Amino acid sequence: MALFAISYDSVEILHNFAAAHGITYHLLSDEGSHAMRGLGLINDRVQEDHAVYGIKANARHVDLPYPGVYVLDRDGVVTQKRFYESYRERDTGTGLIAQALGIVTEPSRPRVVTTNGPMVTARAWLDSPTYVFFQRVLLTVEVSIAPGFHVYGQPVGDGLTPLSIGIDALEGLEVGPARWPSPRRFPQPGFSDELWAHEGVVRGMVPLTFAATPGGGDLVIGVTVRYQVCDDASCLAPSSLELRVPVREAALVGRSLPSPTAKA
Amino acid sequence: MPLPPRDFNAIGPKEGQRFPDVRLSDQTGALVDLHEQRAGRRALVVFYRSAEW
Repeated sequence: MALFAISYDSVEILHNFAAAHGITYHLLSDEGSHAMRGLGLINDRVQEDHAVYGIKANARHVDLPYPGVYVLDRDGVVTQKRFYESYRERDTGTGLIAQALGIVTEPSRPRVVTTNGPMVTARAWLDSPTYVFFQRVLLTVEVSIAPGFHVYGQPVGDGLTPLSIGIDALEGLEVGPARWPSPRRFPQPGFSDELWAHEGVVRGMVPLTFAATPGGGDLVIGVTVRYQVCDDASCLAPSSLELRVPVREAALVGRSLPSPTAKA
Repeated sequence: MPLPPRDFNAIGPKEGQRFPDVRLSDQTGALVDLHEQRAGRRALVVFYRSAEW
């Protein structure tokens, strides 16, 4: 999926904005709004609207596009368009896209999912109860290991199963590498290799990017935690725990346009 | 008095049409051809007010 954001800002403004906010996707400069006018997206009623809403005239309030988004398929054909009457409150940084699309953020807290296995309890939650396409959400998996036991980290010896997180495949879901705290070196009688293990409570984090076309709806992220638990004397067989973490698609505010064919 | 709502179907490229060719400079000053840069990928094209205000 490629992402382009178009505004009438100069290259210099976009350069500074991208640098300040770590933006790596394309911010395209349509200074003079010629391309947006050619596309028929200029809102010529801004001044009129402002008069209605009592906003003072401003030289920057001309040649503005309607805020919205086009979704293109692999052939470059428009599969969805979502446009909105007006801009919501201003925003900067990573919230820009969400604001441009009129995303509602929800104040509610993420749900924590818990499950138990041999000597281990796993909890998982997302840092946001909702997703917006192209948003990166962080999945945290907390593994609590019973006192006196440990689970293996990386690197791991032959025949042992290290702690790992697997995410079920979902269309458009991009799964980044899991990050764990460093395991500590562990003496293990009978093994010549050095072993690295976690004890107590350990939290792994996995970045998830929702790159599917908007309208994917509410999802359940299937998380599998694999581990092998040992004490100083022996190891249990490798185990796995399944967690199902719900995430809701944030509602788009404004018009969701019916396709022209459906309207006819 | 509120203004009458727009017919957004009549505004801009329509669903089912190929998005028109767009060539604009990006934040690095490089000229970007939208479709060329897509390189066969799906894309989101976002129109927004300004990065400045």
